[in-house]
Amino acid sequence: MAGPIYELKEVVKTRAGDGYSFRLRVPSLRISPGEKIALIGESGCGKSTLLDMLAFVLQPSGCERFRFNVEGKEHDIARAWKRRRQNRLAALRRRHLGYVMQTGGLLPYLTVRENMELSRRILGMKDDGTVAALARELGLHRHLEKRPGELSTGERQRVAIGRALAHRPSIVIADEPTASVDPFAAERIMAIFIEMVEARNITVIVASHAWRHIKQLGLRRLAHHTRRSRDGSLAETVVSG
Amino acid sequence: MLLRHWRETLGLASRDYFHEWQISVCFVLALAAVLGPMMVLFGLKFGIVGTMIDELREDPAKREIRPVGSGRYDRAWIDALAKREDVAFVVPRVRAIAATLEVGSARSPRILSLEVIPSAAGDPLLPPGAPAPRGLRQVVLSASAARKLQVSAGDGLEGSLVRRFHGHKERVRLPLTVVGVASARAFGRDALFASVQLNEALEDFRDGRAVPQLGWRGTPPQSRRYTGFRLYARSIYDVAGLEEAFERRGIEVRTQAADIETVRRMDRTLSAIYWAIALIGLVGFSLSLGASLWANVDRKRRELSVLRLVGFRTGDIVWFPLVQSLYTALFGWALAVAIYRAAAWGINLMLAPQLDAAQQVCRLLPQHYLVALGLTAGASVLAAVLAGLRAARVEPSEGLREV
Repeated sequence: MAGPIYELKEVVKTRAGDGYSFRLRVPSLRISPGEKIALIGESGCGKSTLLDMLAFVLQPSGCERFRFNVEGKEHDIARAWKRRRQNRLAALRRRHLGYVMQTGGLLPYLTVRENMELSRRILGMKDDGTVAALARELGLHRHLEKRPGELSTGERQRVAIGRALAHRPSIVIADEPTASVDPFAAERIMAIFIEMVEARNITVIVASHAWRHIKQLGLRRLAHHTRRSRDGSLAETVVSG
Repeated sequence: MLLRHWRETLGLASRDYFHEWQISVCFVLALAAVLGPMMVLFGLKFGIVGTMIDELREDPAKREIRPVGSGRYDRAWIDALAKREDVAFVVPRVRAIAATLEVGSARSPRILSLEVIPSAAGDPLLPPGAPAPRGLRQVVLSASAARKLQVSAGDGLEGSLVRRFHGHKERVRLPLTVVGVASARAFGRDALFASVQLNEALEDFRDGRAVPQLGWRGTPPQSRRYTGFRLYARSIYDVAGLEEAFERRGIEVRTQAADIETVRRMDRTLSAIYWAIALIGLVGFSLSLGASLWANVDRKRRELSVLRLVGFRTGDIVWFPLVQSLYTALFGWALAVAIYRAAAWGINLMLAPQLDAAQQVCRLLPQHYLVALGLTAGASVLAAVLAGLRAARVEPSEGLREV
């Protein structure tokens, strides 16, 4: 068994707003390749903060260790942030990461096909039928030439899933991918999504506020506790797993 | 890889620009509304002043420098003048009273008393490329003289002149050939252009001196002094300098320098006014486009952060507003050119009755269009750079969630 794809130790993100501060602390977190991770919790508990750090789009306030191991290479994310190597982080995102947002995040001026091809195109990957196959699997093949504006919310989320998978990333991070869809469709989309990443042996990290949607999908749930100070001015969430 | 990124960014920026065509059309219209009138204004300035300068340039009379009254100049002095860089043409003049000739032709019953003007090759009053009068037999007529005598190039004339010699009235006849006709614009009066040699012969005859080549008797010739000269500066811009040079030598001259200076001063003043307006217009346009692009970055924060998320680099994102503003510059310029063309056509049509066939009140040269495009693109890039830097600072995590 290869080493962990993510290796975090004492990673902290602090955010302070007027009279209120929030801290997310990850004492230790290891995620193995091919693992399926669920991050469950009410909104505001720091799920998105953790996801953004794992997607290299949010700089931790402090960390002892933050490593990313992929394709036999170890990347020191903590150091890249410290040295402001933004373009290096962008390159890692581009090559190894897929991200599904809460709502679409699709480019309105591109067709469904072009949106799904976006990552492939900046990587210079040739069209090998992947996008068409993904579209069929996601039930989008009739919508390929439409623009996102012509689709329903559920369909747009499926396009976002397609885009996150099209360039065969090592990890897919999904932040409440079904929050804006009705519960019935949400369950179905989540099921298709997990099935697809499983079939492709992609590591997946999903945040959701509703455990019951995904508990039957066999994900490892990260534990986290939120403590508030008595006057409510400080909240700290500790994630472990 | 760099090229691919750049190409993808260019493609996406273009798609966005055309997808949001309503907003893009507004940008283009805003630009054309500033640039179009500016081009019309410049076209008018260039056309009006250009026409005036062309008139100055084309009219040799504007380059003429004439001595006031009569002086005494020798041939060597005149030849030295001819060698000056800023002098296009100079010939000596004989006494005005001697420089006349009565001329008749076989075709017309009229006898004209013509002013005789010394001429030579390169005379600005003669049509370019036409032969200049040479020797004692060839002449060029002014247009009005040729019309009255009903002759044209190649026809013969008969000149005659009278003197009192030894108490008797003596008349000689002088057969002449017309080698050319000067245009009516170049010279309006009845006149006959003849070589300096023929001018000297006429003066010698009237002064009672012999002209052996024509068989005219008289006293032997003496060393000659001329009373004046016909001088043309190389260009209208040399007139003032030459005038100064003559005045320094104590020769009072009359020139059109004042007219020329008036037009040049007007050109400078109008140019200054125009550039002030153009500068204000361009700065205003840059500011308004810059503000719109700046606001655009806010509006598109989410889309830009999506691009950052899928791995576009900071440097790629800067191009987004830049490419879009260049589109605005290009289309706005094209529309402004169309506006200008329509306006110029209308203005020139309206004023056509007051103008010569080739004249245009509103006119631009091809390079003016290119300068307009260059300035517009420059102003647009300037406007976009700030927005671009701002776009590059969009954090990928900023726009991921709707607040």
